[in-house]
Amino acid sequence: MDQQDRIMDGDLQTLGLQSILKMLALSEKTGKLFVSSGPETLSISLRKGQIVGLHEEGVAQSDLLGMLCLVNKLDPPRAQMIREMAQGNMQMALAMLVERGWMSANEMQRCLEFAVTQSISHALRWVNGRFAFHRQIVPLETTMQPLNVDSVLLEALRQADEWEEIMGEGMTHHLTRTTVARWLPEVSKDVRSLGLSQEYIEVLCLANGELPLQAVSLVLMTPEARVARIMIRLLELRLIEVVDTAMETELQQDLSNVIIKCQYTLAYQRHSSHPEQHLLGLITTLSECINGLLSHHGKFARSLRGRGQLPSVEIVRYLERRFAPSLHTLAKQHSILDTVTFAYGQLDCNDILTLNKVVKGEQLEEFYWEAVQGLAAFLRFVFTTLLTDEVGNSHTGRQLSVAWKVFLSEIDHEVQQYQVYRAHRNTQMARGRDPMQSSPVGLMQNLNGTPERDGGFQSPGTQRRSI
Amino acid sequence: MPAAQPTVLVVDDSPTVRKIVQMTLQREHIRVITASDGLSALTSVADEMPALILLDIQLPRMDGYHICQIIRKNLQFRQIPIIMLSGKDGLFDKMRGKLAGSTEYLTKPFDSVELVQTVKKHLINWQDRMPAPPEGMRPRLRYRG
Repeated sequence: MDQQDRIMDGDLQTLGLQSILKMLALSEKTGKLFVSSGPETLSISLRKGQIVGLHEEGVAQSDLLGMLCLVNKLDPPRAQMIREMAQGNMQMALAMLVERGWMSANEMQRCLEFAVTQSISHALRWVNGRFAFHRQIVPLETTMQPLNVDSVLLEALRQADEWEEIMGEGMTHHLTRTTVARWLPEVSKDVRSLGLSQEYIEVLCLANGELPLQAVSLVLMTPEARVARIMIRLLELRLIEVVDTAMETELQQDLSNVIIKCQYTLAYQRHSSHPEQHLLGLITTLSECINGLLSHHGKFARSLRGRGQLPSVEIVRYLERRFAPSLHTLAKQHSILDTVTFAYGQLDCNDILTLNKVVKGEQLEEFYWEAVQGLAAFLRFVFTTLLTDEVGNSHTGRQLSVAWKVFLSEIDHEVQQYQVYRAHRNTQMARGRDPMQSSPVGLMQNLNGTPERDGGFQSPGTQRRSI
Repeated sequence: MPAAQPTVLVVDDSPTVRKIVQMTLQREHIRVITASDGLSALTSVADEMPALILLDIQLPRMDGYHICQIIRKNLQFRQIPIIMLSGKDGLFDKMRGKLAGSTEYLTKPFDSVELVQTVKKHLINWQDRMPAPPEGMRPRLRYRG
């Protein structure tokens, strides 16, 4: 930005935002006022002393269109179309909605005015920070009707006072406009039976673990301070919880790393061409994956959180208490799992992995196959349990669940390959042929429909012929 | 006009890797498009002009080195940073990647924090590197197999 355009700047402690705006309005200035505090910056466009635009930086922009869909004011396909055209510009998106008759011009103006008031109200509470006014040409074509500074300030100050009131009440929950809340996983009853007013139900419905308080306020056109008050009540009623974004980011990263590692192991094991080796590779992948998930859960389990550094014995005890009973139940269906034990919070599959020292041939393959089925069932149980416990039915939870399903489909594909081979072998045996004499390689098709070169199973006989 | 969000193209034959990378980068407000093989990757490059490409080496039909060379030979797309993504961490493979024109190398299994850091490092000033093609004159990548 050109230095010569800057006609005024200073410290917010010396001159507050309210005074600056009033001064610019009285002198009917045209230009852009930048106000910043910490990572946040607000730029207010003025034309002849009236507000014609506002932009917030340093704050993640909420998806207004998505939110309108959530409150049934817009169809998702229409929202997607507008989203692609507007490219994140809220003003443009609203103008497009008006243009297509999906929103009235009055509604758009009220929405824009509301957003401006909320942002200024937030900035009015900044104590430290800088401001600068730049004499710039403000674009003539703005979708918003010019706003009178005095009326915006009046409402913004009223709301700022309400926020201060909440803070002064010594509430246990310190909410900010970026706070994200979501329903507690335990809440399953009909919210209408709770006797809450419509306003509360609306906030509760939008507490989906994705929208910050600021966005909920915008979509409901309810002041942020009021939404904060409602959220506090919902927290007290134990209907919602505040999402710890930093913790969830870390949780997602950790779980993603576990999945990526397991995918890598799976891809590496895929090169085994012998059925026994293939099954052994699957067992290695499955056990590594289960142990990765157990280690992860030891760090992020809900009941272990917020208690500082816990002794590892306590974590181990928790993991065994949580998962060992299900392993025993599964062992009734897949008896090979009796050989699997819990040791230091990890699954010890060593007995299965070294079975080749005890058993050989078809019997070994049968044991391996049973182990694959048992471990695959246990893996699914472990993941479902830990995800429900750690993040519940939240945005993060749903995303991780999708990624998980994709990974499971890769495992399933490997299992299916073996099943095809097995079916082929059994058919050959039923026909009285030696299954080792005919190669089932034609049946082994990978996802692309091309015959498997590395991954397809070949009988030892076929392998020798290939050589 | 370039999009307000940078677009990253992820090319990997594993749906798990594509999904995890997509999820990780979307959390950082990065738009992600994906391709599972070399040919669809080249189509995506031409259609979407990504700001960065994450490219696996072992791909069906056409390997990552080959795709990298094709992109580097194209005047319109040669500036796009290409991060090779592979399980191979040997010096020979890194050298081969470098010769093909890759910008950086990430070894699988990669850490998601490392992935974000590397991607962000190469997305600095991405808009300056992405001159918008004139309307109706989308450049095409040609594959001469």
